[in-house]
Amino acid sequence: MAASSSRMEIEKLSLEQLRGLKEQADLEVNLFQDSLNNIRTATARLEIASSALHDLSLRPQGKKMLVPLTASLYVPGTLDDAEKVLVDVGTGYFIEKTMVEGKDYCERKIALLKSNYDQLLEVATKKKSIADEAGAVLQAKLKQLSPAH
Amino acid sequence: MAAVKELQRDLENKANDLNKLQKDIAKNHQVRKKYTIQLGENELVLKELDLLNEEANVYKLIGPVLVKQDLAEANANVRKRIDYISAELKRLDATLQDLEEKQNSKKEAIFKLQQRIQALQAGKGKA
Repeated sequence: MAASSSRMEIEKLSLEQLRGLKEQADLEVNLFQDSLNNIRTATARLEIASSALHDLSLRPQGKKMLVPLTASLYVPGTLDDAEKVLVDVGTGYFIEKTMVEGKDYCERKIALLKSNYDQLLEVATKKKSIADEAGAVLQAKLKQLSPAH
Repeated sequence: MAAVKELQRDLENKANDLNKLQKDIAKNHQVRKKYTIQLGENELVLKELDLLNEEANVYKLIGPVLVKQDLAEANANVRKRIDYISAELKRLDATLQDLEEKQNSKKEAIFKLQQRIQALQAGKGKA
């Protein structure tokens, strides 16, 4: 129902307005796609962090490990207390948490991102269908005009 | 004839003004976006800090140094930052509205000028 009424409104627009509407909608769809990709990347990084945490929690204290100092320099060391972890919460603040709290933090952030992603997907899909409709109506009108000659 | 030239010069000036206004509006949007992102980040941090009990350790990264901070102090700092950013956003909103009003009146003035020029040129054509 909603789709057919919006289609009627789109059909009332002039050619110029139709073109403008389609361009605008296309731009917005692209923006939404970029945002969706960003959220997916961030979620992936959080999931890697979460699994790294889990792995760390399995290691015994005193275990020999290699510590990265730069991207290409590692130094040997031993694992100290893996019960405490430092979490980067943003704007330069770090919070000392227990391993359990750290895992919980990752889970919470991942859940938040997933819900943002779903909300964004809904809006993006609606906008895409508007863009598609505008395009279809535009095509139809152009076809109407040309065979007239 | 001279009248048309002068009107055209005026039109050019107004067009330049409009251009500058539009650039200012675009810049306003950019700054606004930056502030909105920072506001969101700070609010997330505040939420995390609120979840902590009194004894949890909080550290702030100042340059290359991680400095231990008092939880109350960290809370106060983040809150102050949030207030500052909100105030800046409000100020930007007011500026944006003002700029948009100026833009609209400039567009109207340009339109009227264009009409006068066209009328004059049509009149000359007939004569």
